[in-house]
Amino acid sequence: MESELVALLISGALFVTVAVSLLSTKVSNSLIALFYASIVLGIGFTVYGDGLLGLLTMITFAGAISVLLLSVVLITGESKLDLGARRVALGAIPLAAAIGGISLLTVFSGQSGGLATSDSSLAVLNFLWTLRPWDLLILIVVFAGSMVAIVSLLGREE
Amino acid sequence: MMALDQTILMATGTALLFLGIASITISKNLLKSIMSFQVAVFGANLALFASGFGYGPRLLSDAFVVLSVLVGASVEAVGLAIIVVVYRKYGTLNPDEIRRLRR
Repeated sequence: MESELVALLISGALFVTVAVSLLSTKVSNSLIALFYASIVLGIGFTVYGDGLLGLLTMITFAGAISVLLLSVVLITGESKLDLGARRVALGAIPLAAAIGGISLLTVFSGQSGGLATSDSSLAVLNFLWTLRPWDLLILIVVFAGSMVAIVSLLGREE
Repeated sequence: MMALDQTILMATGTALLFLGIASITISKNLLKSIMSFQVAVFGANLALFASGFGYGPRLLSDAFVVLSVLVGASVEAVGLAIIVVVYRKYGTLNPDEIRRLRR
Protein backbone atom coordinates (compact mmCIF):
# COMPACT_ATOMS: atom_id res chain seq x y z
CA MET A 1 0.00 0.00 0.00
CA GLU A 2 2.82 2.36 0.89
CA SER A 3 4.49 1.77 -2.46
CA GLU A 4 1.31 2.83 -4.27
CA LEU A 5 1.06 5.89 -2.05
CA VAL A 6 4.64 6.85 -2.85
CA ALA A 7 4.03 6.30 -6.58
CA LEU A 8 0.92 8.50 -6.38
CA LEU A 9 2.77 11.21 -4.48
CA ILE A 10 5.68 11.21 -6.91
CA SER A 11 3.30 11.31 -9.88
CA GLY A 12 1.28 14.13 -8.33
CA ALA A 13 4.36 16.17 -7.52
CA LEU A 14 5.74 15.61 -11.02
CA PHE A 15 2.46 16.68 -12.62
CA VAL A 16 2.22 19.80 -10.46
CA THR A 17 5.80 20.92 -11.09
CA VAL A 18 5.65 20.16 -14.82
CA ALA A 19 2.28 21.90 -15.19
CA VAL A 20 3.62 25.00 -13.43
CA SER A 21 6.69 24.85 -15.64
CA LEU A 22 4.80 24.55 -18.91
CA LEU A 23 1.95 26.92 -18.11
CA SER A 24 4.00 29.70 -16.59
CA THR A 25 4.44 32.74 -18.80
CA LYS A 26 7.71 33.73 -17.15
CA VAL A 27 10.82 31.77 -18.01
CA SER A 28 12.18 32.18 -14.48
CA ASN A 29 9.10 30.48 -12.98
CA SER A 30 9.37 27.67 -15.52
CA LEU A 31 13.02 27.18 -14.65
CA ILE A 32 12.38 26.93 -10.93
CA ALA A 33 9.48 24.50 -11.42
CA LEU A 34 11.60 22.37 -13.75
CA PHE A 35 14.34 22.29 -11.13
CA TYR A 36 11.82 20.94 -8.61
CA ALA A 37 10.62 18.38 -11.16
CA SER A 38 14.19 17.06 -11.56
CA ILE A 39 14.54 16.79 -7.78
CA VAL A 40 11.24 14.90 -7.50
CA LEU A 41 12.25 12.50 -10.27
CA GLY A 42 15.60 11.88 -8.59
CA ILE A 43 13.90 11.19 -5.26
CA GLY A 44 11.54 8.79 -7.03
CA PHE A 45 14.41 6.79 -8.53
CA THR A 46 16.16 6.69 -5.16
CA VAL A 47 13.05 5.56 -3.30
CA TYR A 48 12.53 2.73 -5.78
CA GLY A 49 15.98 1.36 -5.03
CA ASP A 50 18.29 2.98 -7.55
CA GLY A 51 20.40 5.63 -5.88
CA LEU A 52 22.74 5.84 -8.88
CA LEU A 53 19.94 6.91 -11.21
CA GLY A 54 18.59 9.35 -8.65
CA LEU A 55 21.99 10.90 -8.18
CA LEU A 56 22.63 11.01 -11.92
CA THR A 57 19.27 12.68 -12.58
CA MET A 58 19.79 15.26 -9.86
CA ILE A 59 23.37 16.04 -10.91
CA THR A 60 22.66 16.32 -14.64
CA PHE A 61 19.20 17.89 -14.72
CA ALA A 62 18.82 19.73 -11.40
CA GLY A 63 22.50 20.71 -11.42
CA ALA A 64 24.11 21.10 -14.80
CA ILE A 65 21.16 21.69 -17.10
CA SER A 66 19.42 24.10 -14.72
CA VAL A 67 22.57 26.21 -14.47
CA LEU A 68 22.98 26.06 -18.24
CA LEU A 69 19.36 27.14 -18.76
CA LEU A 70 19.84 29.97 -16.27
CA SER A 71 22.95 31.20 -18.06
CA VAL A 72 21.14 31.10 -21.42
CA VAL A 73 18.24 33.04 -19.88
CA LEU A 74 20.70 35.65 -18.65
CA ILE A 75 22.53 35.82 -22.00
CA THR A 76 19.36 36.20 -24.03
CA GLY A 77 17.57 38.38 -21.45
CA GLU A 78 14.33 36.56 -22.21
CA SER A 79 13.03 36.87 -18.68
CA LYS A 80 13.36 39.46 -15.97
CA LEU A 81 14.59 37.32 -13.10
CA ASP A 82 12.77 39.07 -10.29
CA LEU A 83 11.39 37.37 -7.19
CA GLY A 84 7.98 36.80 -8.75
CA ALA A 85 8.54 33.07 -8.50
CA ARG A 86 8.28 33.17 -4.71
CA ARG A 87 4.72 31.85 -4.68
CA VAL A 88 5.66 28.93 -6.94
CA ALA A 89 8.62 28.12 -4.74
CA LEU A 90 6.54 28.36 -1.58
CA GLY A 91 3.94 26.01 -3.08
CA ALA A 92 6.52 23.47 -4.16
CA ILE A 93 8.52 23.34 -0.92
CA PRO A 94 5.84 21.60 1.24
CA LEU A 95 5.19 19.18 -1.61
CA ALA A 96 8.86 18.25 -1.89
CA ALA A 97 9.11 18.01 1.92
CA ALA A 98 6.11 15.65 2.06
CA ILE A 99 7.58 13.42 -0.63
CA GLY A 100 10.96 13.39 1.06
CA GLY A 101 9.43 12.59 4.45
CA ILE A 102 7.31 9.70 3.23
CA SER A 103 10.17 8.37 1.15
CA LEU A 104 12.53 8.38 4.14
CA LEU A 105 9.84 6.78 6.30
CA THR A 106 9.27 3.94 3.85
CA VAL A 107 12.97 3.35 3.29
CA PHE A 108 13.92 3.31 6.97
CA SER A 109 10.84 1.48 8.28
CA GLY A 110 11.75 -1.56 6.18
CA GLN A 111 8.06 -2.26 5.48
CA SER A 112 8.11 -0.90 2.01
CA GLY A 113 5.91 -3.38 0.15
CA GLY A 114 6.81 -3.12 -3.53
CA LEU A 115 9.57 -0.65 -2.85
CA ALA A 116 13.13 -1.91 -2.89
CA THR A 117 14.88 -1.98 0.46
CA SER A 118 18.38 -2.35 -0.96
CA ASP A 119 20.18 -0.16 -3.45
CA SER A 120 20.93 -1.77 -6.82
CA SER A 121 23.36 0.90 -8.07
CA LEU A 122 26.42 -1.32 -7.90
CA ALA A 123 24.63 -4.13 -9.73
CA VAL A 124 23.64 -1.70 -12.50
CA LEU A 125 27.21 -0.41 -12.81
CA ASN A 126 28.55 -3.96 -12.87
CA PHE A 127 25.97 -4.96 -15.47
CA LEU A 128 26.85 -1.98 -17.67
CA TRP A 129 30.59 -2.55 -17.40
CA THR A 130 30.57 -6.30 -18.03
CA LEU A 131 27.62 -6.91 -20.36
CA ARG A 132 26.96 -3.60 -22.13
CA PRO A 133 30.33 -1.88 -22.65
CA TRP A 134 29.22 -0.70 -26.09
CA ASP A 135 26.58 1.47 -24.41
CA LEU A 136 29.28 3.13 -22.38
CA LEU A 137 31.37 3.68 -25.51
CA ILE A 138 28.36 5.23 -27.29
CA LEU A 139 27.83 7.47 -24.27
CA ILE A 140 31.42 8.67 -24.36
CA VAL A 141 31.19 9.36 -28.10
CA VAL A 142 27.89 11.27 -27.69
CA PHE A 143 29.26 13.27 -24.78
CA ALA A 144 32.50 14.12 -26.54
CA GLY A 145 30.59 15.05 -29.70
CA SER A 146 28.21 17.32 -27.83
CA MET A 147 31.04 19.07 -26.00
CA VAL A 148 32.89 19.70 -29.30
CA ALA A 149 29.65 21.02 -30.84
CA ILE A 150 29.04 23.36 -27.89
CA VAL A 151 32.59 24.74 -27.96
CA SER A 152 32.36 25.21 -31.73
CA LEU A 153 28.96 26.96 -31.52
CA LEU A 154 29.82 29.26 -28.63
CA GLY A 155 33.25 30.10 -29.97
CA ARG A 156 31.84 31.32 -33.27
CA GLU A 157 32.37 34.99 -34.01
CA GLU A 158 29.41 37.12 -35.04
CA MET B 1 -0.03 -8.49 -14.43
CA MET B 2 1.41 -5.12 -13.64
CA ALA B 3 1.55 -3.89 -10.06
CA LEU B 4 -0.44 -0.79 -9.23
CA ASP B 5 2.60 1.39 -8.56
CA GLN B 6 4.12 0.28 -11.87
CA THR B 7 0.92 1.22 -13.67
CA ILE B 8 0.83 4.63 -11.98
CA LEU B 9 4.45 5.40 -12.86
CA MET B 10 4.07 4.15 -16.45
CA ALA B 11 0.94 6.26 -16.95
CA THR B 12 2.67 9.31 -15.46
CA GLY B 13 5.72 8.79 -17.64
CA THR B 14 3.66 8.40 -20.80
CA ALA B 15 1.55 11.44 -19.95
CA LEU B 16 4.65 13.56 -19.33
CA LEU B 17 6.19 12.36 -22.60
CA PHE B 18 3.14 13.40 -24.63
CA LEU B 19 2.76 16.63 -22.64
CA GLY B 20 6.36 17.52 -23.47
CA ILE B 21 6.00 16.68 -27.16
CA ALA B 22 2.76 18.67 -27.42
CA SER B 23 4.35 21.63 -25.67
CA ILE B 24 7.36 21.54 -28.02
CA THR B 25 5.04 21.89 -31.01
CA ILE B 26 2.92 24.63 -29.44
CA SER B 27 5.66 26.71 -27.82
CA LYS B 28 6.48 30.15 -29.27
CA ASN B 29 9.82 30.44 -27.50
CA LEU B 30 12.88 28.30 -28.19
CA LEU B 31 13.83 28.27 -24.49
CA LYS B 32 10.38 26.95 -23.64
CA SER B 33 10.83 24.28 -26.32
CA ILE B 34 14.03 23.11 -24.64
CA MET B 35 12.23 22.99 -21.29
CA SER B 36 9.42 20.99 -22.90
CA PHE B 37 12.02 18.63 -24.32
CA GLN B 38 13.33 18.16 -20.79
CA VAL B 39 9.82 17.28 -19.63
CA ALA B 40 9.55 14.72 -22.45
CA VAL B 41 12.90 13.23 -21.37
CA PHE B 42 11.64 13.02 -17.77
CA GLY B 43 8.57 11.13 -18.97
CA ALA B 44 10.58 8.73 -21.10
CA ASN B 45 12.97 8.05 -18.22
CA LEU B 46 10.15 7.41 -15.77
CA ALA B 47 8.33 5.08 -18.17
CA LEU B 48 11.56 3.19 -18.95
CA PHE B 49 12.34 2.88 -15.25
CA ALA B 50 8.86 1.63 -14.39
CA SER B 51 8.90 -0.87 -17.27
CA GLY B 52 11.54 -2.90 -15.44
CA PHE B 53 9.41 -3.58 -12.34
CA GLY B 54 8.38 -7.12 -11.56
CA TYR B 55 10.93 -9.00 -13.67
CA GLY B 56 13.57 -9.72 -11.05
CA PRO B 57 16.57 -7.38 -10.98
CA ARG B 58 15.71 -4.56 -13.39
CA LEU B 59 19.24 -4.03 -14.66
CA LEU B 60 18.50 -3.59 -18.36
CA SER B 61 15.84 -0.91 -17.85
CA ASP B 62 18.12 0.93 -15.40
CA ALA B 63 20.98 0.79 -17.91
CA PHE B 64 18.67 2.26 -20.56
CA VAL B 65 17.64 5.05 -18.19
CA VAL B 66 21.32 5.89 -17.55
CA LEU B 67 21.82 6.08 -21.32
CA SER B 68 18.68 8.16 -21.77
CA VAL B 69 19.60 10.62 -19.01
CA LEU B 70 23.07 11.27 -20.40
CA VAL B 71 22.04 11.45 -24.05
CA GLY B 72 19.11 13.74 -23.12
CA ALA B 73 21.44 16.04 -21.19
CA SER B 74 23.88 16.18 -24.13
CA VAL B 75 21.11 16.99 -26.60
CA GLU B 76 19.78 19.68 -24.31
CA ALA B 77 23.21 21.27 -23.86
CA VAL B 78 23.74 21.41 -27.64
CA GLY B 79 20.23 22.83 -28.05
CA LEU B 80 20.99 25.61 -25.59
CA ALA B 81 24.23 26.44 -27.41
CA ILE B 82 22.28 26.64 -30.68
CA ILE B 83 19.77 28.96 -28.98
CA VAL B 84 22.57 31.32 -27.97
CA VAL B 85 23.89 31.36 -31.55
CA VAL B 86 20.39 31.96 -32.97
CA TYR B 87 19.80 34.79 -30.50
CA ARG B 88 23.10 36.44 -31.42
CA LYS B 89 22.20 36.23 -35.11
CA TYR B 90 18.50 37.16 -35.12
CA GLY B 91 17.95 38.87 -31.75
CA THR B 92 14.81 36.89 -30.99
CA LEU B 93 13.81 33.43 -29.78
CA ASN B 94 10.41 33.33 -31.46
CA PRO B 95 10.48 30.63 -34.19
CA ASP B 96 7.97 32.49 -36.40
CA GLU B 97 9.97 35.70 -36.16
CA ILE B 98 13.19 33.83 -36.97
CA ARG B 99 11.50 32.22 -40.00
CA ARG B 100 10.35 35.65 -41.17
CA LEU B 101 13.82 37.18 -40.73
CA ARG B 102 15.48 34.38 -42.68
CA ARG B 103 13.54 35.20 -45.82
